[in-house]
Amino acid sequence: MSIHYKPGKEPHPREHRLIFKNIDRADWDNGIDCYLRDGGYAMLQKAIGMEKAAITGEVKASGLRGRGGAGFPTGVKWGFISPTNTKPVYLICNADESEPGTFKDRYILHQDPHQLIEGMAIAALAVGAKVAYIYIREEFPHAATICEKAIEEARQRGFLGKNILGKEGFDLEIFVHRGAGAYICGEETGLIESLEGKRPYPRIKPPYFPAALGLYMCPTIVNNVESLCHVVHILRMGGAEYAKLGKPNNTGTRILCVSGDVQKPGYYEIQVGHLTMGEVINDLCGGLKPGRTLKAIIPGGSSSKILKAGETYKIKRGAEVVEMGLEELPMDFDTMAAAGTMAGSGGVIIMDDSRDIAWVLNNLNTFYAHESCGQCTPCREGSLWMKKISDRIVAGQASPEDVTTLESVAYQIDGKTICAFGEACSWPTEAIISKFRDELTSHTRPELADTPKNPVTEKAMASL
Amino acid sequence: MVQDLSTISATIDGESHVIESGDTLLKFVDRHRGRGHVPTLCDAPQLAPYGACRVCSVEVALQPDGPRRVVAACHTPLAAGMHIFTESAKVQKLRRNIVELVLTDHPLDCLTCEVNGNCELQTVAAKVGIRGVRYPAGANHLDRAKDQSHPYMTSDLSKCINCSRCVRACDEIQGQFVLSMHGRGFNARIIKGLDTSFEKSPCVSCGACAQACPTSAISDVFQSKSIEASRKTRTVCTYCGVGCNLNVATKGNEILSIQAPLDSEVNHAHTCLKGRYAFKFVKHRDRLRSPLVRVNGRLQPATWEEAYAHIVENLTRIKADHGGHAVAGISSARCTNEENYLMQKFIRVGFGTNNIDACARVCHSPTAWGMQKAFGTGAATNSVEDLQYTNCIMVIGANPTEGHPVTGSKIKQRALKGVPLIIIDPREIELVPFATHHLQLRPGTNVALLDMLAYYIWEAGLTDQEFITKRCENWAEFEAGLKSLDLDALERIHGVPREKVKAAAIEYASAENAMAFHGLGVTEHSHGSKTVMTIANLAMMTGNIGRPGVGVNPLRGQNNVQGAADMGCQPHQGAGYLQVNDPSNHLLYEQFYGAHISNEIGLKIPQMYEAALAGHLKAMWIVGEDVVQTDPNTEHVKAAISSLEFLVVQELFMTPTAEYADVVLPASSFLEKSGTFTNGERRVQRVNAVIAPLAGTKPDGQILCEIMQRMGLSQPDYTPEGVLAEIARIVPFFKGATWDGLTEQGTQWPIQEGGIGTEILHIDAFKRGLGKFHFFPFQESKEIEKHHQEFPFILTTGRILEHYNCGTMTRRTGNAQIVTEDLLAIHPQDAAMKNIEDQDQVRIFSARGEVRMKARLSTEVQPGILYTTFHFPENLVNVVTSSECDEDTLCPEYKVVAVDIEKVHAPDATTIPALTH
Ligand SMILES: Cc1cc2nc3c(=O)[nH]c(=O)nc-3n(C[C@H](O)[C@H](O)[C@H](O)COP(=O)(O)O)c2cc1C
Ligand code: SF4
Ligand code: SF4
Ligand code: SF4
Ligand code: SF4
Ligand code: FES
Repeated sequence: MSIHYKPGKEPHPREHRLIFKNIDRADWDNGIDCYLRDGGYAMLQKAIGMEKAAITGEVKASGLRGRGGAGFPTGVKWGFISPTNTKPVYLICNADESEPGTFKDRYILHQDPHQLIEGMAIAALAVGAKVAYIYIREEFPHAATICEKAIEEARQRGFLGKNILGKEGFDLEIFVHRGAGAYICGEETGLIESLEGKRPYPRIKPPYFPAALGLYMCPTIVNNVESLCHVVHILRMGGAEYAKLGKPNNTGTRILCVSGDVQKPGYYEIQVGHLTMGEVINDLCGGLKPGRTLKAIIPGGSSSKILKAGETYKIKRGAEVVEMGLEELPMDFDTMAAAGTMAGSGGVIIMDDSRDIAWVLNNLNTFYAHESCGQCTPCREGSLWMKKISDRIVAGQASPEDVTTLESVAYQIDGKTICAFGEACSWPTEAIISKFRDELTSHTRPELADTPKNPVTEKAMASL
Repeated sequence: MVQDLSTISATIDGESHVIESGDTLLKFVDRHRGRGHVPTLCDAPQLAPYGACRVCSVEVALQPDGPRRVVAACHTPLAAGMHIFTESAKVQKLRRNIVELVLTDHPLDCLTCEVNGNCELQTVAAKVGIRGVRYPAGANHLDRAKDQSHPYMTSDLSKCINCSRCVRACDEIQGQFVLSMHGRGFNARIIKGLDTSFEKSPCVSCGACAQACPTSAISDVFQSKSIEASRKTRTVCTYCGVGCNLNVATKGNEILSIQAPLDSEVNHAHTCLKGRYAFKFVKHRDRLRSPLVRVNGRLQPATWEEAYAHIVENLTRIKADHGGHAVAGISSARCTNEENYLMQKFIRVGFGTNNIDACARVCHSPTAWGMQKAFGTGAATNSVEDLQYTNCIMVIGANPTEGHPVTGSKIKQRALKGVPLIIIDPREIELVPFATHHLQLRPGTNVALLDMLAYYIWEAGLTDQEFITKRCENWAEFEAGLKSLDLDALERIHGVPREKVKAAAIEYASAENAMAFHGLGVTEHSHGSKTVMTIANLAMMTGNIGRPGVGVNPLRGQNNVQGAADMGCQPHQGAGYLQVNDPSNHLLYEQFYGAHISNEIGLKIPQMYEAALAGHLKAMWIVGEDVVQTDPNTEHVKAAISSLEFLVVQELFMTPTAEYADVVLPASSFLEKSGTFTNGERRVQRVNAVIAPLAGTKPDGQILCEIMQRMGLSQPDYTPEGVLAEIARIVPFFKGATWDGLTEQGTQWPIQEGGIGTEILHIDAFKRGLGKFHFFPFQESKEIEKHHQEFPFILTTGRILEHYNCGTMTRRTGNAQIVTEDLLAIHPQDAAMKNIEDQDQVRIFSARGEVRMKARLSTEVQPGILYTTFHFPENLVNVVTSSECDEDTLCPEYKVVAVDIEKVHAPDATTIPALTH
């Protein structure tokens, strides 16, 4: 069966398309007939013949790691549902895709919703969920409608509802829930609160680990859109076969969302770890803009730490440790972690020498100050101060010691908050300052060092 | 074998301590190093851990020298073998930096702030050693406007540190969901309701948020967190049977403010607005400040000795001329146990009559009677605390969120946590949206509904046969009664679809532990006592007796109704519920008091009125009770008391009843005296004088002792300890009660020697031996039988949160600004039929009389049912209520009145202006 893509939208030869197989197909629409014509829902049928544990077993064997950001093994997560649990179990698809630099889930939602529904149905069967939700970000109104329509079609055909495909007791309803435009709703416990109709304040962990005390205090599995789609292919190929894609511990394919200063930004589904950063830039994306040199890369969404051109990294390869430059780094979870950053959500942001790093820092700080939910003191106050200080650096109103203050604010957030937003907002600052301190300092004015501090806070100190 | 310490202990800065289950790191450190050793901002002992401010950060390692992790102590569970480092340079720096960030957006006018010296931010800032702020001036929130819209609650959110303690207090303690955080990040701010003021929001002024707020960002008009006070006195609220403990701050002889003690077992840092804020009546200018004696038809100020002499002269004469039975006393459920005890002693010993009753007559006498018949003890079988252990809550004829607010909010919290809640009430009360079942019956048909519930339990085979055979009697007869029920007829009578009744029955009976609460909607009916016994049937047939989380639990109305009955303010039973006409008891009382005591059952309150009208009763002594306003059929009561030869009233204020008195004695309020109150769960708690009695007034106990002395009885001077000791000698279940032994938390009776209390009654056997089933078929109320044709609406009455009884006290506080009048709730359908619109003046008339008030259209009542409160004398709603009574106890039927209504076209010119604040 050969697949035709719309002209100009053909996959790059180095791509390996599984979950994006149907994206931009010429003869494709998001209706169920199209999906069924291509063998859709066959894997759900297959799953129905399997033991619950066997499905989870295949997912474990596949080595699939979550594509939402943290890279946590999906099968292991499913295994957290206590076997003695008697409460309802919920499955949530995290379709809040709001990490800057990330734009993959939306294509699935718009163009291939049945792949997601099939993946969710298989996952629900495996974890014993009878109710599942697609939590979709507010900015995707059209996708929400598409998903609702797709769910209705699937119900009509007996892929959802009661006794699915004739399997006694296999019931599943999927509901689409629209967010209201907050980045923090993507954090799984904030998402759960939001789904419960509350303010999306992330929950403290312990004790509120979703697999134990999630939605309505019941065991809950939260997975990213892309992660859930992979489940369909794992069942088709078998876990062991799927695991042969990519690299050990970094299996399968994943979608890179490349943006920034390259010739052909866009989405590319590759086998994890099969391309280096340099190949991503030069092969997939047609290289940097003419006459430009690489300055830095944010490899896994805006929250990941920046990598600077010219740096070298010590990366383990089997038993030996090799030293690599930025462009030689293979794009996989473990390598990114070894390089001091993370593969995150797959959002690769390429920056060339035209970029002013102070502006970059300020741009990120502004985003996070706007998105902090405000629950934790270090994050609420700190993210704003990071923005305020970088505002002044950009405006040339800062003194060199402000850079140090900025750095110390970041370190007081990181690891000291309720949710991982604390790291998400402070890591970029920490990395940018440590790697580009001179460039930042060059924006500052030493003569401002002695300007008076906040008179209000001066008074404060006096009265304490 | 020596246990390996590491399996049961953890270290704090190198020192090992044994851990307890449920410990968080913070609880553990607090216990061993004292609260405050680890600074906290968002944590509060009365709230669930939150983990937001992070100033409680500590380092934790699994090996003494192992890698350390920074965690928030307040929500991290402790595990054996952990090593906690509370003071490492790293966490100190972190805490300093966090507080520094907070201070960048804080007004820091500490020296003029109301909480100066008692501000948690200030304390923490000092503790972490802030030396300077490195941030330049920037945007801040210092210009936020204050909210002074409300009579009690205030906010100045420029001082807010976004810890969400107020929001959590409102959610987790009160369950009102008024406060929330709006906006995110730096723009996050506290809002009330949909971003309005306290006054316009649905706030019920419980004050939980103000108490929880670590700064003065949310506070109250009394500045309850200031350190102005020179003294704090713990006492017990006088407004309802929950019996909340209060911490009253005073300076000199002035009451500044009230807070709820954190450690109180009854109310755990919570109160309602009455307990916390409604204390300004104490020094209100309307307080009586001198005895009044009627001279030439007018009440004139007199000295205490003149008043006493006048009383002695008249009572002695009446006793001599007409005998002791011509005298009767009504005691007060607002007074202490000691005072109630003295009052019944005064009547019984002084006049040789059992004509002593208390306002329990008009509220919970059927409970005492019915539960004694079924179980042997007329009191709650369990404690409110048991809500924590129950798996099903059934509330019958009670509106706890208004009548017993702190218990109401606890019930709401349990329901929010998923405990099934069954509400049996004619109205859609505040708890209904939180309930699993609402059986909205027609007023006056409790027996029909509860019989049907029992039937469905029996039909479903959910009875506890073992419990029934071993612990109860009369089952066969009861079962036969159930079998004889005509379900179709019952359904028609109570009006609730039978499937709903069945579902509730199954819910109640299949719960592992089910707990029933009932209120005046059960007792104030012509079959009140029977209804109480019917509730007892349900508990017995399902074995819900004698362990945590079960039982039959009356929600006692006034603060000390339980105590008034315990102390013998009942005509048929003396102190300790001993039947007065039982020869051995009679002998005991005569020996104990060394005086002639009557062995004839005395008059109940309604009988007193009859006797007065018939000319047999010549004198009455009424303590702290406004019978004209609160007893039913006002005109009848007025006629009765005006036909007396001599009436003495002990009161705080000049009430409509006091207007009829020959002598009015100015009494001191609960804040000015000491003694004990017994709450609805039998907990005897110490009431401590907070300030000296208002000049010119005396505590009721002292008045009673002084009059007894002048009447020639041998009565020592009043001391609470002394009277309590006397009570302990005669009341069996007070045997071990001593003033000191009661401790701060109080003790639940029966109190054994050594001061040991009893949380749960009837554990192994019922007080009366076997629990007794009683079957009663439904009987229509005579009020309906007689008057329904002519007066087709059923009026039922109740109370609201903001006011207490006829409002003598609460209407002299800021509460009067919150709720200003009684309104008549009417279903929109009925309103349309009668051409009545919201806020229209309506005339309500019954066979007895008429009242006027404004209508409030509401679907909380069903068509045909009207509802109002009785807090404002302007309306004297009891003008329309009947003299129908519970057959067994003569408790009046306030809850069912046949009335008709019509719209009044011209506004009523005679409306009495509301009391001044
Ligand atoms: C601040 C923040 C935002 C996040 N946003 C998203 C998001 O938009 N989409 C997503 O899938 N995961 C997001 N996550 C990760 C989720 O918390 C969660 O780990 C993920 O949905 C799990 O799915 P996976 O295991 O399939 O990756 C976010 C995490 C944080 C801390
Ligand atoms: S870290 Fe930030 S985003 Fe996360 S809960 Fe705390 S304040 Fe909210
Ligand atoms: S006073 Fe009580 S009800 Fe009102 S906002 Fe505060 S906590 Fe909520
Ligand atoms: S008002 Fe008080 S309790 Fe509420 S968030 Fe602000 S500081 Fe905390
Ligand atoms: S009125 Fe009742 S609930 Fe309110 S504070 Fe007093 S005792 Fe507590
Ligand atoms: S007290 Fe622990 S985080 Fe605030």
